[in-house]
Amino acid sequence: MSFALIAIAQSVQAAELRFTTCPVYRDTDYGRKSGCWLADDPLSGIRYDVSPAPTKPDWNLAILVEGKLAVRQDNPCGGVVLDPVRVSVLDEPCPRHMLPAEGFPGRLFVLPRRNVAPTGDPRPVDPPPYQARTFPIFFDYDRAFVTYQHSDWLLDLAVAWLQAAKPKRIVVTGYAVTQQGESKAIARARAERVAHSLKQYGIAGALVRTGVNPAPTDAEGSDGLIEPSRRRAEIRAEF
Amino acid sequence: MIYAFKRFLFPLAALGIAALSISAASPPDRWWEPGEGRTFPEKLAYPNDHGEIELILTGGALNTKGHAFFEPLGPNGRACVTCHQPADAMSLSLDSIRTQWNRTAGKDPLFAAYDGSNCPTLPQGERASHSLLLDHGLIRIERSWPPKDWAGKAVKPDFRIEMVRDPTRCNSGEYGPDKGRISVYRRPRPVANMKYLLAMGFPYDPKLGQPMDIDPETGKPVAGNLLADNRAPTLKAQMQDAALTHLGMLRGLNPEQRQQIADFETRIYAAQGVSKAGGRTDADGAAGGPRLLADAVPGKLGSIGRAVWSEFQPWEKDAPGLTAEQIAFRRSVARGARAFREKTFLITDSAGINTPVGFGNPVRNACNFCHNMSQMGNDVAPGQVDLGTTVPSFAEPAPHLPLFRVTCLARPHQFYGKSFLTTDPGFALTTGRCDDIGKITLQSNRGLAARAPYFSNALAKDLRGIVDYYDRRYAIGYTEQEKQDLVNLMSVL
Repeated sequence: MSFALIAIAQSVQAAELRFTTCPVYRDTDYGRKSGCWLADDPLSGIRYDVSPAPTKPDWNLAILVEGKLAVRQDNPCGGVVLDPVRVSVLDEPCPRHMLPAEGFPGRLFVLPRRNVAPTGDPRPVDPPPYQARTFPIFFDYDRAFVTYQHSDWLLDLAVAWLQAAKPKRIVVTGYAVTQQGESKAIARARAERVAHSLKQYGIAGALVRTGVNPAPTDAEGSDGLIEPSRRRAEIRAEF
Repeated sequence: MIYAFKRFLFPLAALGIAALSISAASPPDRWWEPGEGRTFPEKLAYPNDHGEIELILTGGALNTKGHAFFEPLGPNGRACVTCHQPADAMSLSLDSIRTQWNRTAGKDPLFAAYDGSNCPTLPQGERASHSLLLDHGLIRIERSWPPKDWAGKAVKPDFRIEMVRDPTRCNSGEYGPDKGRISVYRRPRPVANMKYLLAMGFPYDPKLGQPMDIDPETGKPVAGNLLADNRAPTLKAQMQDAALTHLGMLRGLNPEQRQQIADFETRIYAAQGVSKAGGRTDADGAAGGPRLLADAVPGKLGSIGRAVWSEFQPWEKDAPGLTAEQIAFRRSVARGARAFREKTFLITDSAGINTPVGFGNPVRNACNFCHNMSQMGNDVAPGQVDLGTTVPSFAEPAPHLPLFRVTCLARPHQFYGKSFLTTDPGFALTTGRCDDIGKITLQSNRGLAARAPYFSNALAKDLRGIVDYYDRRYAIGYTEQEKQDLVNLMSVL
């Protein structure tokens, strides 16, 4: 990857890059989970490396890419690296594209910081006193699936805190971003998924509400990405 | 004779290969008859084609007289032990089935009409009526249609099911989806090393994107790794299901019987203890055999703890006093263990792996991506995945099995489309979800040498068949050496 291409990418990127495309898998082999995911921006033609996203693409389906240029551009995959970045798998079919490694090494898999601890491991929680607090749980576009090694970790943190704090009331509000084209129904699906998860953790009785088009948040898990941060459910603990 | 479980030293050749072979006349007490009243010793061993399976019963010997696992409790004369034989790693091998057929002229309770024949409506005196059991080791499993959830409540499925082929005649006539019951045919799962199947390594199920499922009776989370289609969340539910179907009981088990069975099943450990070619599997620093299984803490993820099958890493170095053949075999096992963990390949279009978790489709990984629990090789998470074993596009032709056409009524299946064929809808017979069609709960890898054939529908007749299936399904490109290494590894588990 040339510096010139990175400079072009920087010039076309305002605050946050956002486009839909068909993904390209590059079959690098640096051990497990080391394959690369590439995405060509249809407007600029620039090929981006979206491999750091919590949700990886499905080569059968289009993806929505949202991200920022990574500070470190070490080019392991043959694309301008986006990090932080989110990938949402869409319903539109795509032809499969797979490239050979072509000399690119891929990335050695490293366990993400946001991973749920094994059962029985301690989950440290701040000591009391506890005050009202809101925990956002983020979702991929038009999905109510709690993402692995990202939102499941956020949910796990929230549960540990709620079990310690024992608030009087819990309100779960699911949001849809209709301005992005999401249906209102996804707001309820997100709220119910989170409330159901709390119930399975033994935290029953959460009130379920819905809303649309919330403001962005910079809470843990958003990584400073504006539009993905709006696709969320919020667990509000009240005392 | 029951082989005394003795810690005999290598070389095995001293025992003589013939002594370990079951191709000769089987010892009369290899088969455990219901109600025999034998004592189940603390340690037990049986020969098989690859060496010896060893069993440990923690807490000491057990008098099986009057014990619910060993007594015939229902009208058909079967006990739990009928289909969960110690010599077969607490499962049931095809060899044992055939031996028992020949020995009893088909009169053994194993061949009960309900599920030991292809269909209860068939003439029971004929071998052909029991062909799935005698030729493939498959027991009939009757599921309700539409499905019922764990609490017994009907589930509205999001797919339609029709018969394409009914060679057993048990999915038509008075049976079949139109009559509210579907027959599928599956291998009995081993009831040993149970603490690993019940362990919850993590509080979250990444395949469902939610915390672990809850047992409706106890309100407690469950591991989801007991049965092929996850139709029973707990040992209690599993044994009740088995009592009412396989044992033919009308009222099921009482609390004392359930307690007895649970007590036994959580104390019994089984693993290959001796390899014909490599000697004791715990020799020279290796840690094969059931002892480690009994002692270790279950539910640990191999990638962050004890690497899966690192028990055989010491065999990467040659011990003194071995023959060239013994050294070669042990090296092969050690290479197989590394290949299991490190030989990566592209996993594609497999529901439960490639979607909806977010690993990506495809994802490059190795066998231990899914067979990831230390010591056991089952999935730490609930292991419902679709490897293609029940879908004709991937599996070998299986004209002996029923063939269903499923049509998804809402969204198409993510990889197979709106309408496709399967020999066993698997997990979808529990959830009613089109996305779950073909998902089968991953099994333990222990005791494989004692319990051929393999996969839930006996797709692989031997250990090589397992490797060949994966090699073809995922275009892995194993070398001949790698295939043999993996076979040798599996033969000592």
